[in-house]
Amino acid sequence: MKALVVFCHPTHDSFTGASLQRALAGLAKGGHDVRLVDLYAEGFRPELSRDDLALHTSDWRAHPDLRPDVRSHVDDLTWAEALVFVYPTWWSGQPAMLKGWIDRVLVSGVAWQLPEGSNRIRPMLQHVRRLVVVTSHGSTKWVNALEGEGGKRVVGRALRVLCSPRCRTRWVALYTIDRAPLAKRLAFLDRVERRLQRL
Amino acid sequence: MRAVLIVAHPDPGSFTHAIARRVSDGLVAAGHDVIVHDLYAEGFAAAMSADERHAYHGDVPVLDPLVAQHIADITDAHTLIYVYPTWWSSMPAILKGWFERVMVPGVGFVFDAKGKVRPGLTNVRRLVGISTYGSKRLYIKAINDNGRRTIMRAMRLSTGVRTRSRWLALYGIDSSSENDRSQFLDRCERMARSL
Repeated sequence: MKALVVFCHPTHDSFTGASLQRALAGLAKGGHDVRLVDLYAEGFRPELSRDDLALHTSDWRAHPDLRPDVRSHVDDLTWAEALVFVYPTWWSGQPAMLKGWIDRVLVSGVAWQLPEGSNRIRPMLQHVRRLVVVTSHGSTKWVNALEGEGGKRVVGRALRVLCSPRCRTRWVALYTIDRAPLAKRLAFLDRVERRLQRL
Repeated sequence: MRAVLIVAHPDPGSFTHAIARRVSDGLVAAGHDVIVHDLYAEGFAAAMSADERHAYHGDVPVLDPLVAQHIADITDAHTLIYVYPTWWSSMPAILKGWFERVMVPGVGFVFDAKGKVRPGLTNVRRLVGISTYGSKRLYIKAINDNGRRTIMRAMRLSTGVRTRSRWLALYGIDSSSENDRSQFLDRCERMARSL
């Protein structure tokens, strides 16, 4: 399967960085075709600008050159059959950097269309058959449930509705990471590799 | 009493900014001391930097003077109000980044002797969120309103036990009438006056 891996952490020297390495190892073992996007490393700009907003409802395909800094991302998005997000959960959701990728890269004419006079967007990512999240939470599963698992719902619902009707979502999460013993962290990394191999 | 208003929209001519102005008017009319932080106008950086990440659990987690100013303003505030458009069922990246970079350990929350998280902003007694949505209410309920949950639950837990919270929402903004929007602005100002 063609897998686009979107990595979001300021450093590779982190548990999220270790998760990425094991995710890539699993994808390689499974014989998947991988593209990796490292948002921090490339200095991606997460703030959706006034110019971006002016183009919000115009079809990307008519003017692919107007937003040069997101062009390669949009190309990757149209190529992918699986989207794999690897990030730490901060404030019950995706880091701002990754939310910015969602805000800016899921453009009209590629990810969705808004028919004239409608409130409901029409999905356009039917080629995406897998949504995978690899993440870690500082707080417990219980606290995350209480706070509503915002990050999980952004991917599992808001992005899911854009994808193939048969798209499957995989949630691979380590809770209470700050107090997790080494054995538990290592077991999680093994799980990441296994999960991504089968995709 | 001090109210801090956090606004997240790139266009000063937007409806979000119109809401922020009316809320500010209402607060001033009610005798509050109002500080408005327009994140885009201030050039607030959404992404936590690598240096900030390294400093996060240290003694000095704040490196950016703009972030320090925000912290100084909210640690002295009675009321905290967020105004933003909901994008992809959550807040814009720039506002998400505000939580990550401003609500650092020692500000939004503190760790007690056992390492448990305790609220850090017990001075905040009124927490308000105002958002506009492209989708209709039922659709938002089905998809989940993640921005609202982050503010009304995660952020709510960082404030005092008796903090009162309010949420004002304008759904289906793209198909709303001039009258709908004007009524919503009136409602926002009334709410601000009553805080």
